[in-house]
Amino acid sequence: MIDLYSWGTPNGRKITIMLEELGLEYTMHPINIAKDDQFKPEFLAISPNNKIPAIVDTDNGQTLFESGAILMYLAEKTGKFMPTEDKARWATIEWLMFQMGGVGPMMGQTHHFVKYNADKSAYASDRYLTETKRLYKVMDARLANNEWLNGDSYSIADIATWPWVARHDWQTVDLNDYPNVARWYKTIAARPATQRGWNVPETEQKIPMP
Amino acid sequence: MIDLYAWATPNSRKVTILLEELGLAYRLHPVQIRLGEQHRHQFLAINPNNKIPALVDHETGIQTFESGAILIYLAEKTGRFLPKSGQARAATLHWLMWQMSGFGPMLGNLEHFSKLNPGRSADAEAHFQREIRRLYGVLNGRLGETDHLNGDAYSIADMATWP
Ligand SMILES: N[C@@H](CCC(=O)N[C@@H](CS)C(=O)NCC(=O)O)C(=O)O
Ligand SMILES: N[C@@H](CCC(=O)N[C@@H](CS)C(=O)NCC(=O)O)C(=O)O
Repeated sequence: MIDLYSWGTPNGRKITIMLEELGLEYTMHPINIAKDDQFKPEFLAISPNNKIPAIVDTDNGQTLFESGAILMYLAEKTGKFMPTEDKARWATIEWLMFQMGGVGPMMGQTHHFVKYNADKSAYASDRYLTETKRLYKVMDARLANNEWLNGDSYSIADIATWPWVARHDWQTVDLNDYPNVARWYKTIAARPATQRGWNVPETEQKIPMP
Repeated sequence: MIDLYAWATPNSRKVTILLEELGLAYRLHPVQIRLGEQHRHQFLAINPNNKIPALVDHETGIQTFESGAILIYLAEKTGRFLPKSGQARAATLHWLMWQMSGFGPMLGNLEHFSKLNPGRSADAEAHFQREIRRLYGVLNGRLGETDHLNGDAYSIADMATWP
């Protein structure tokens, strides 16, 4: 059984979508980051970086934080969504890292400067929006020749990236400018596990459509 | 034989330090990012994201970019610096991801605003300074509990963070 500590954010949804895909049983412990639950000592004992998501696997007592590490752990535990064949496996890990090191932190800054603090710094807003659009272009080129990011099959690289692309409206990005990303986005949005994972913990939010 | 495309930057040094630890033979192809060499076609064929480092392993035919992926690749190839199972593996991966997604990009952001473009945005400078102080606090707290980030031994999580 998996104990999941999370909230309905892009990094949180990576894990609920993965768990729903895997059909693994899990207990959701909501950590309301708008109310500073992430600074409570019980949570810091699991995630010293005061960020969701984090998990405890009660099958073996292992604790993990960082969404990318949790995705790799769950993929290795179940043998799913991370191919074992060499080429596809390394492409999965490389595009997962591209999400972790690029898409996540840079689009996160776009949310900070463009959406939440639009009046604070035109220079910073512009910097992160430009970088966000560059990242969309890289993904669009990749998905022009490949159905999935790893070039092989639906994987943790897609699962990690999709919830960030689902914030395209926050980023003031028109997905129709990136037709291959839009096609990939809609395909994943139609998966029942994506739709279930989207609303954990329960919300009334609809998946944004371009 | 391994071909490494890199320059003298923190993300590249993660990989050169690991290659030296492993004693693997490699050929270094300098990519001068200040001169824009990362945008050349030959390099984009290896990394469409126009960033160093990137690696080609001729023994296996694998080519990969993103420093974190390269570190895991070399660790699994040699069976070193990434424990194979258990909490030590989990902790190596989560601290590696912490560096990849937090410590690394936030230091890059701070450098951009405070060092390369001071005065452009006081708000952004303060924002990233706060975040970097917080991250150093997290790192210091962890290293107060254990010798190495994964709680077990020197690993790719330390090699990713040190540069
Ligand atoms: N690199 C981390 C980032 C996690 C993250 O940024 N979580 C946000 C919500 S999406 C959070 O918990 N923020 C609360 C805070 O920073 O205080 C991961 O991928 O897990
Ligand atoms: N997440 C990437 C980041 C790589 C990165 O930022 N590389 C920088 C140098 S340290 C670069 O190549 N910059 C050139 C550019 O962005 O045009 C990784 O860890 O490999």
